[in-house]
Amino acid sequence: MSEPLLKMNREDERLLIARVRAGDRMAVRELVDRHKERLFAFIWRMVRNHHDAEEICQDAFLKAFASLDSFSADYRFSTWLFTIGYRVCLNRLRRRHPVSGEVDLSALAAGGAPEAGAVESQEAGEVRQLVWSAVDSLSAPQRAAILLFYRYELSCQEIARVLELPVATVKSHLHRGRNSLRETMEALGEQKLSELRNLSRHAG
Amino acid sequence: MRCEQARQLFDAYLDGELSPALATELGAHRLRCAECRRALALLEVAGHIVGADADPVRPPEGFTDRLLACMEPSRATWSHRLRRLVYAGSALAAAAVVGLAFLGVFDTHRPGQVAGKKVERSVASASVAPAPVANPPVADSAIDEFDEEFDAPDSPLQTWIERTQANLEAKRQGGESLQEVFDLTILQWLDVLEQAKQATADAPTAPPALDPAPTARPLPPTPSEDD
Ligand SMILES: [Zn+2]
Repeated sequence: MSEPLLKMNREDERLLIARVRAGDRMAVRELVDRHKERLFAFIWRMVRNHHDAEEICQDAFLKAFASLDSFSADYRFSTWLFTIGYRVCLNRLRRRHPVSGEVDLSALAAGGAPEAGAVESQEAGEVRQLVWSAVDSLSAPQRAAILLFYRYELSCQEIARVLELPVATVKSHLHRGRNSLRETMEALGEQKLSELRNLSRHAG
Repeated sequence: MRCEQARQLFDAYLDGELSPALATELGAHRLRCAECRRALALLEVAGHIVGADADPVRPPEGFTDRLLACMEPSRATWSHRLRRLVYAGSALAAAAVVGLAFLGVFDTHRPGQVAGKKVERSVASASVAPAPVANPPVADSAIDEFDEEFDAPDSPLQTWIERTQANLEAKRQGGESLQEVFDLTILQWLDVLEQAKQATADAPTAPPALDPAPTARPLPPTPSEDD
């Protein structure tokens, strides 16, 4: 993602956080505005429910600001914020019944959208939907690892910090997550091939 | 290189952690082996989609405003109500409300005096704010400006808060009776009201429209009202 946030000057961030600590309301607003879209999208992908996502996102920000004193400037603020957000997500997911209809089914298929202005073939659209539905069916840590790696461009070390897991465990989640996505796509390939065979049989 | 070995390198390759020598080995195998080529292509396409697709969701409208309102519940409730009382001219009632609030604060948590501890202060005040009600809608910009002034470290309100804290501290150490502290608090609050009215009179914009709110919430009994 080409968010300017990732490239945000560390010094800039340090100053902004210092202003927040000094009680500057405008700085609080700026910090929230800089991070809310990424955090919200991440949380939404974890819980797949718009209402829950807003609550969790708000909760994560409140917790982050309430414990800002424990934030270390050695890390990026976003990493720290995601750590808190992920923790709140996990608590929420644990409380949720496995099949409770709490997931927005209407939005289930709409995993992603091509980049703005792009026109895509039906084939590409199918692959896209398939990949996102595979992402949805991953376990929470696998999904988080995949999202943080590919979408938020975090290193395995940073992901380990967010998930509060050893780096080796993160690598194993990434590995399993990737393989699940690949297997889902393989299945599509086979289905497509058999469809084609059927078509040619009917045609011939 | 055999397929089995090649597949063990996939993750390191995708993580960007493969040494140049092994990357070349894997590349060579990939050229020759259709199966590994296909597997890697699928992994790369999946990664690309997850990485590059636009987000179908955005934070809802007003997210930041609601969050900020949550962060400063006291500001959104008692400060808001106080201002209504100021405009309504119920100076003594306002003084009593605030005085009671701070007496409560004093016995539980002292409100933070350092600006950086603002959140703490909000939480402390919120926990004792009289008759908490649902947050009123976020104030318009005129009210916000007024708030900024009141919240400034050297504003009359802040000065009064500090004085009140000092009064209460003195009381706790046995120096003054509760009645004395209370009278002093009210006198100082009247002083603050004067300054606030002065400031509003000086402001170019008209005072914001106010709901007839003081009646919406019963005030605690004020000892001074009997006088
Ligand atoms: Zn091979």
